[in-house]
Amino acid sequence: MARLEAKSEVSGFVWKVETELGKRVAKGDTLILIESMKMEIPVVAEADGVVVKISVEEGAAVNEGNTVAVLEI
Amino acid sequence: MKDDTKLRADLRLVLDAQAARLDAARPAAVARQDKRGRWTVRRAVEAIADHDSFVEYGGLVRPATKGMEGAADGLVMGTAKVGGRPIDLVLYDYSVYAGTQSAMNHAKITRMFSHAEKHRLPVICWLDGGGARPHDMHVTARPSTPTFVVYARLSGLVPTVGISPGRAFAGHANLAGLCDVLIATEDSAMGMAGPPLVEAALGKKYTPEEIGPSSVHYASGVIDILVKDEEEAIAAAKKYLGYFDMQQPAGEAPDQTLLRDLVPENPRRAYNVRTVIQTLCDLDSVLEVKAGYGKAAVTAFGRIAGRTVGMVANQPMYLAGAMDTPACLKMARFIQICDAFDIPLVVLCDTPGLMVGPEVEKTGLMRHSARVLSALANATIPVLTVVLRKAYGLGYYIMGSRPLEPAVLVAWPTAEFGGMGLEGAVNIIYAKELAAAATPEERAELHAGLTAELKRSNTAVESGAKFLYDDVIDPADTRDILVKTLETLQQPAPRTTRKRIIEPF
Repeated sequence: MARLEAKSEVSGFVWKVETELGKRVAKGDTLILIESMKMEIPVVAEADGVVVKISVEEGAAVNEGNTVAVLEI
Repeated sequence: MKDDTKLRADLRLVLDAQAARLDAARPAAVARQDKRGRWTVRRAVEAIADHDSFVEYGGLVRPATKGMEGAADGLVMGTAKVGGRPIDLVLYDYSVYAGTQSAMNHAKITRMFSHAEKHRLPVICWLDGGGARPHDMHVTARPSTPTFVVYARLSGLVPTVGISPGRAFAGHANLAGLCDVLIATEDSAMGMAGPPLVEAALGKKYTPEEIGPSSVHYASGVIDILVKDEEEAIAAAKKYLGYFDMQQPAGEAPDQTLLRDLVPENPRRAYNVRTVIQTLCDLDSVLEVKAGYGKAAVTAFGRIAGRTVGMVANQPMYLAGAMDTPACLKMARFIQICDAFDIPLVVLCDTPGLMVGPEVEKTGLMRHSARVLSALANATIPVLTVVLRKAYGLGYYIMGSRPLEPAVLVAWPTAEFGGMGLEGAVNIIYAKELAAAATPEERAELHAGLTAELKRSNTAVESGAKFLYDDVIDPADTRDILVKTLETLQQPAPRTTRKRIIEPF
């Protein structure tokens, strides 16, 4: 099983965690919503897999390139 | 068949000299390149040029400095065909004195650049080398080489592509900086000066990768296309030059109904505008440039029903698509390339406007946003504008709005319009009413209500009724409308003079 890190493309704040630990997700599913410039920017699953780690909490600041969740694929 | 067994001595001399510059005669040089994990330039020529199309110039040249040896004096060059189209090709050979620029190979490359200018041929530069060759500094003609001036004058006249497959420092970096499109491998390094000169100037030792790794140059916009290796670099160069065949057979169209649901119903929700570009263009026809820089915008070449187009788009995923200095610089330069070579431009607008606030003022946005407007206002290429969602303020004005006289200007059902940001406009228009509110909560509620009201009067259909757009369309019809509009536009006759230069910023 390979691990795939889901990273935020932008700096901002975690608006909503849209997934949960252990959840099976499909490619394209939204995992986390980042708020930046009054916009909700989804961090999506790049592949089908299972969420094995959520690295952020709602309201937390993230920087561009930060890992926000990890999938096992 | 030629009979090579009974050759005259004079011909034998020539054939031996020609053979000596090829890889088969240079096992030590080939081994050195292998050790670096790099291709030889001869292998690169084979991969770039159509089969048996390369005609070499200056292959017999020796270094000017006595006692030095090196095949073709470290620069392989000539004419070739790429995808059936003629080009000029120059490749620095790292296995000859680290690919350095010598007195003789400067004369060679200047000859090739002048040839490109006279015969209007695109140029591919393989830039693997460490700048000037110090040993040649005593050569009389050395200090006055016109190489860089001649190359700079090709700007806008012919497409110029640079490939950085290893090291490009000093003079090589100078050439890289002048290319319309610069392709580099991930493990490449470039810089204004390499380790010895940096150490002499700054008193500190650095490796080439510490001075100018590809990650730095990709983020700064220096590198247009970042690739894994030589093979990908050459493929990208060929793909780019392919766009100068303006009309090819129509490619397969992706499923257009995807576009109907692409812009989320929630106006706060971002989406990736790359999906719009990929869906509007023929399958596998898109080549994005400067993806690592100015991320609030996307610039890409592509084909729509076989016709070459440039695409500039706001990227809602980044800064909500607000146009900051890097995004503006990236768009302005891309528009210059399209205009120089008569490539029609598709503008995809979804911007809350130009970025605002004290931080962006420090970046000189006033001037840099003006570059985009100036590039578009003075371009003669057709502009086809699609408003995907937000069309606010000067940002929209720049993004192909009516005053720029686009060939067609259409909007999606999700289009929002405002001469300025609506929330800010409400602050000004209703300043008295807002000030009169009894509590902050009441003020916020009033503000939200007034903003919503303003928004309702500027929906896609309302704006269509005010003839802001030529039409409001089903997103799934966008490609069809672009195809039909492109068919109404005549491709200008091939130019005999330069239309404009492309600034190297």
